[in-house]
Amino acid sequence: MSVRASFEPNETTDESRSLRERVADNPGPARFWLLGTAVLVALEFGRYMGWAQQLVGAVKYVIGLVGLIPTWIGDSVGEATVPIVSYFVSDAITLVLLFGIAVLVTRFTSWSAVDQFDLGLSDRLVRFLERAVLTVVLATIAVLFAFTPVGGLVNGAIDGVFNTLSSIPTLTSREVISNQGHRTPGGGWDGTFLGLSPAVAWGIRTLLVYGYALTMIVWTWKGYTIFREHYRKADWTPRDDTLRRFRTHYWGLFGLIVVLMFIVTALWAPAISPTTADQNIASPYEYEIEYLNDDGDVVTTTPGQANLNSQSNGQNTIGPMSYDDYDRWSPLGTTSSGQNLLTHIAYGAQTSLVIGLLAIGLGGLIAVTMSMLTAYYKGIVDILTVITSDTIISIPAFLLVMMLSVIFNQGNHPIAEPLNGGLLLGLIFAFVYWPGMWRTIRGPSLQVAEEEWVDAARSYGQTPVNTMRKHMAPYIAGYIMIYGSLLLGGIIISTAALSFLGLGIEGSTPEWGRLINDGRSFVGTSSWHVATIPGLMIVLVVTAFNALGDGLRDAIDPEADTGGTDDTGTAAAGGGG
Amino acid sequence: MSRWRYFFKRLLLSVPVLFLVMTFIFVLLRMGPVDPVAARLGPEASGAEAARMRERLGLNDPLWEQYLDFITDLLTLDLGKSWVIYGDMEVTRIISFAGPPTLWLGFWAILLPLFIGIPLGFYAGLRPNSGGDYIASVGGILWQAMPNFWLSIILLAALRKTKGGGWFGFDWYTLGPDIRSITGTPELAFATASGIDWGTLASDIKLILPPALVLGSASMAAELRIGRTAILETINSNYVETAKAKGLTNRVIIWKHVFRNALIPLVPVITNEAFLLIGGSVIVEYLFNINGLGKIFFQATVQGDLPLAGALLFIFTVVIILLNILQDFLYTIIDPRVGYER
Repeated sequence: MSVRASFEPNETTDESRSLRERVADNPGPARFWLLGTAVLVALEFGRYMGWAQQLVGAVKYVIGLVGLIPTWIGDSVGEATVPIVSYFVSDAITLVLLFGIAVLVTRFTSWSAVDQFDLGLSDRLVRFLERAVLTVVLATIAVLFAFTPVGGLVNGAIDGVFNTLSSIPTLTSREVISNQGHRTPGGGWDGTFLGLSPAVAWGIRTLLVYGYALTMIVWTWKGYTIFREHYRKADWTPRDDTLRRFRTHYWGLFGLIVVLMFIVTALWAPAISPTTADQNIASPYEYEIEYLNDDGDVVTTTPGQANLNSQSNGQNTIGPMSYDDYDRWSPLGTTSSGQNLLTHIAYGAQTSLVIGLLAIGLGGLIAVTMSMLTAYYKGIVDILTVITSDTIISIPAFLLVMMLSVIFNQGNHPIAEPLNGGLLLGLIFAFVYWPGMWRTIRGPSLQVAEEEWVDAARSYGQTPVNTMRKHMAPYIAGYIMIYGSLLLGGIIISTAALSFLGLGIEGSTPEWGRLINDGRSFVGTSSWHVATIPGLMIVLVVTAFNALGDGLRDAIDPEADTGGTDDTGTAAAGGGG
Repeated sequence: MSRWRYFFKRLLLSVPVLFLVMTFIFVLLRMGPVDPVAARLGPEASGAEAARMRERLGLNDPLWEQYLDFITDLLTLDLGKSWVIYGDMEVTRIISFAGPPTLWLGFWAILLPLFIGIPLGFYAGLRPNSGGDYIASVGGILWQAMPNFWLSIILLAALRKTKGGGWFGFDWYTLGPDIRSITGTPELAFATASGIDWGTLASDIKLILPPALVLGSASMAAELRIGRTAILETINSNYVETAKAKGLTNRVIIWKHVFRNALIPLVPVITNEAFLLIGGSVIVEYLFNINGLGKIFFQATVQGDLPLAGALLFIFTVVIILLNILQDFLYTIIDPRVGYER
């Protein structure tokens, strides 16, 4: 009889019914909230589908990359020995990878052959057999996808569905509220939303974007309060106190607001920029725009041609809040190559956000895993991790990032391709910064490993993995959030600094640092805005991330602030410790 | 565990760290995706010339032999030769002429924040929640969030604007010693045999002040914040209460009891600055056109001069490891509470 089975009855007592059952008892508030959510989602359905499509694309890319590993290892082994070995090695590694996936799948699904059939074998063996069977199934599917037309068909079907769904117009799509039109000889505007001027049309769309995002956030908060009032088991949890502390931490709230605006700007970049990145930056000669020329005729030209005559390069300036000669609205002016500065900023926010989140997510995952392992096992694992992290920390971070990015970009490594090097940069940052994160959470994880409940879980027969996941990791999560927020600012600065130097992100992907480099020579001229505005944006966003980190620290771990003073007042000015 | 055992344990740990760093650099240079021969001769190099180069660089030897050679060379400080930017010059010679400007920059970048950041932090801490405190604190936060490269170009533009009067009512070009350009490498020839040449010294200092201000900006903000907190903490502590009760004058309390204790948490901040300086020197030297190690590292990485870049990276890392040991040593002497187990 396993431990798990003997405790099963407890889990279905009145105290711990599932959330679904609790909602079924009192469906009113939940129905109200879900209805509102449905309306909000329907308004922007096409955009959400667009994001989902990008997500699916990313997953496909990762699968493709993982699929390359077996042949890569096999080939290198084959080179060192006999070529025929490479096939065996690559097949074996494929199977190992698939088995790993099978283990993950069985771990995270509740169904298990152990509970269903009584085969008279030990639980361990049944579990292993179950995973082996799953591996074979996965292998069959993989072969089917790789070597038969099925893969292509499924791929095409997925793409087709998403393409259709994501082209549904939404509340904030450019087609609905268009700001791209031209003056008419009569003095009005043609092609814009309701015949308004592009500036007003763009303003309405931008307001709608931020308004929609605000509504969404407020509604999510409302959902949480409904959950707390009607459906949560406990009347009080420690998280309530954390939230209460954060709500009165004005410095942290300022950070949160700016960070949310930054994220919204990145997510809604196509709606916020007056023109799309593809039309304005990537392939400006493949589109056509109309404008009213000086002779009073409406003529057609390409955005590329128009860009050449709208540069802000010291002699010629299209400043913030102005139109260029081609009736195009530039809320933040143009760059030194005539492209729209706001388009660059909005899409550049996307680049920074993707790199930052990738680095923090991956680095944080490594750091948490290592901190759990070192705190639980100590001894040799701990020493080895100390040595590894000391090594990485003692190499100057920025120089290491520079060198790695140059080496991989010069070697034309396939990983340097997505986002013109953005993915590579994210991975490099994760590699460089995980030791720092590990060091920060090392103290708390060593502390929690000494706690009685961890000892209890161990003596009770919990597996080490479960002990770490259920009883240690939640305690660490707060600390990684604090440090992650502080680190994100640093990563944004480093990314910008690299692209300022012409490294890291290359090609046509917009990046804030490159803008500063573009406008470097014009700071003292009438085209001051090219370098100044992106710089101010960096300062604002980095300050906001620092503020958010301070706020989170004071909210999650008030003891950490040893200032001894009331944290709300002083923190608002100085950010606490 | 005694303090000294802790210190020696740290010392012992730095040996494998050093070897791992060397191994890492070796892996990057020899086994990374960049082919050394192609980097040297251009991507189209092939045939006899490439084969000769391959032989000359020892790339045909077994990997472990290359590895051993590489490690021995680094340990004996035989850092090899530059390939591209200083054709075939010994790396040690490059360091001998590029090192001094970087050290000069680093010296001022540590000194300036010390004399601006700490006094400002103490000022803010002694007047908590006053207007001056808010200005200093918010200024420090913004100062810390400003990227060095942006600060540099703004500062350069502002200084260039001062030519012949301009916005601020002074001319940086003619203020004090005359300099031809506001950027450039300081000559550092002030210490001559006949004593110190004050004119050269002054122009060297003037040349280095703007870049040092930028490079020290982050540490300045950190010192401001930590100095402020340290003062707030000490001022509320019991011994200051006691001193007040004894009837000591404010002046004595602040100078004798508050300042000296508030300086303690600032010690690690100051030693940690070396990390920031080495990373930041690349951008600042590049923008202010100072021919120091940072700028040469930048050129070396961009132009594919990997042996030079690798050697410089090794040198920087060794400096940091040594500084870490020094810091541990200082801790061991100063702070009796330190222990290996937290």
